[in-house]
Amino acid sequence: MTTYIIRRLLLVPVLLFGVTVLIFAMLQFLSPVERTALYVRDFPKNDKAIEGLIKRYGFDQPIYVQYWTWLVGKVDKTSGVREGGILFGNFGYSRSASQPVAELIARRFPNTLDLTIWTVAPMILIGIWMGVQAAVHHNGFIDQAARVFSIVGTSFPTFVFGLLMLLIFYANLHWFSPGRLSDAYNQVVDSSSFTHYTSLLTFDALLNGRFDIFLDALRHMFLPILTLSYISWATFLRVTRGSMLETLRMEYVTTARAMGLPERDVIFKHAQPNAMLPVLTLAGFSIVGLLGGVLITETVFNYPGIGSAAARAATSLDVVAMLGFALFNGLILIVANLVVDVLYAFVDPRVRLS
Amino acid sequence: MTTSNEETILQVEDLKMHFPIYRGVFQRQVGAVHAVDGISFDVRRGETLGLVGESGCGKSTTGRTILQLYKPTAGQVHFNGVDLVSLKGEELRMMRRKMQMIFQDPYASLNPRMTVADTVGEPLMVHNVATGKEIQERVQQLLELVGLNPAFASRYPHEFSGGQRQRIGVARALALQPSFIVCDEPISALDVSIQAQVVNLLEELQEQFNLTYLFIAHDLSMVRHISKRVAVMYLGVIMELADRDDLYLHPLHPYTQALLSAVPIPDPVADARRTRTILEGDVPSPVNPPSGCRFRTRCPIAEKICAESRPDFREVSSGHFVACHMVK
Repeated sequence: MTTYIIRRLLLVPVLLFGVTVLIFAMLQFLSPVERTALYVRDFPKNDKAIEGLIKRYGFDQPIYVQYWTWLVGKVDKTSGVREGGILFGNFGYSRSASQPVAELIARRFPNTLDLTIWTVAPMILIGIWMGVQAAVHHNGFIDQAARVFSIVGTSFPTFVFGLLMLLIFYANLHWFSPGRLSDAYNQVVDSSSFTHYTSLLTFDALLNGRFDIFLDALRHMFLPILTLSYISWATFLRVTRGSMLETLRMEYVTTARAMGLPERDVIFKHAQPNAMLPVLTLAGFSIVGLLGGVLITETVFNYPGIGSAAARAATSLDVVAMLGFALFNGLILIVANLVVDVLYAFVDPRVRLS
Repeated sequence: MTTSNEETILQVEDLKMHFPIYRGVFQRQVGAVHAVDGISFDVRRGETLGLVGESGCGKSTTGRTILQLYKPTAGQVHFNGVDLVSLKGEELRMMRRKMQMIFQDPYASLNPRMTVADTVGEPLMVHNVATGKEIQERVQQLLELVGLNPAFASRYPHEFSGGQRQRIGVARALALQPSFIVCDEPISALDVSIQAQVVNLLEELQEQFNLTYLFIAHDLSMVRHISKRVAVMYLGVIMELADRDDLYLHPLHPYTQALLSAVPIPDPVADARRTRTILEGDVPSPVNPPSGCRFRTRCPIAEKICAESRPDFREVSSGHFVACHMVK
């Protein structure tokens, strides 16, 4: 088990190297002038300034030198200040958000993480639950109903379903609103009396003892959560159902029945745990997808997460910010894959020992 | 039906298992697979009844239907005098303690996520016959009983060979001290050298615990070795049932004769001298089985009556049952 985890960990630097090389390669499509955004906030004003920046940040150097400078940045000899250097968290400046990309991520990512945390349970658990029920009642009414219900969800484009939700629950019923928080609460949260322990709004609200803010935050997240869940349920249902049907046919399940195990235990103790392996992979990918920011959903509901920031960067051709997001996404993907692999080993003894 | 005065442990009467086939938009039932179509026999305490037949003839379905893993379409199964078909829920669950099953595929029949100790100990836990430490001790005993090192208890199934896995399956089946075990082709997935080991183990255990086996197989020589009596199935129906030697030396039904003549003999001279009955054609579909005698479409001696009426399963000599119009 330990060697398995160590082997997986050793792979991480290799993957990270691959990601940086890829992103760096994409950077080469930008002109040196555009690339100055990696180091300086403002677009250089004249040829002379451009010339100076190119010299200063080594855009005229061989490509491997440039790669190295991109990784570790450039330390000013006199002041000792480090400029750039993605290894030190300096992803450059987002000219569309008028702030460093790292700062933008630091401000937006907690919101995305908050949304992800609250979406995981309804998306995955309900999806799995429907899949199990569908498999247990194979070809019965519940099976057909669950499949129709979920296929409708998948068939909806996110923006159509999201707008439909807004139309019904915001415009007509006034139950839920887009955005992150009501204006009144925004002021409370921004004031000094509100401590940001985790920067996750819902958790901070609870830790500050403001249950009203917690509820308001959830109220704003409800529609994105519903949208994200509904469009994913069909996938979870289908994978769980197929995998369950397969395990339910295994002889150890029949044996469990033959030995007199109650049907509940047969399903939830023998069949379901064994059917969960492919679902675990899917869940890993889905969570990574959510963490990377859900561009359309966040944009539709005006949710200030990393997805809506990326959408804005993309529409304003803020390439340095885009590549910063891409780099961050790659990091999340690698970490999440590592977690899924380790979980796999916990869940499946066969992986642990081979 | 039995003429013997030995104690009958299991009595199967006119058992039928039809699996419905649904088609079309409204999923109407358009037919049924007649997997088991009216079979009657009984099993005596302490004996091994071999059940042989080609693949798809309904052997395994018979075993599973007897254990009520499928709800039979019709018929009765008396186990120790109790009709299993009429039992439901808790009552049936309690009866399961006395009847267990060993499966063909030692890879599919063990839950890959459970250790050997969990697998073998689970029946004890399910029926609350032992707790905590008792279970552990019992598991150790059972593993020793089937010839496995008790130190392996904390290992997972994939760490074992096929033969070892089958022993785990046997240990699990024995955990509740059942009196009747359905062995569903327990050796056909194993290497020949291992087959003998497992069969010997089953025989030893039978002697030790006075177990009764319904031994389902298609390997005729192995069935001959282990069984006291043998039943031959074809397309959901039992064609012939007799004492082992009686059946192997004096087969009456043309299907049994054909089946036995296909058993290879490890003696080329003798093999060349015997006459082989080779059956023509394929096994008909169990969805639309032939009228009258199921075997008539391939039978070398079939006559008109064979298509008209289904032959009775009658006793032609003491303990020798056969379903054939042509046998006098």
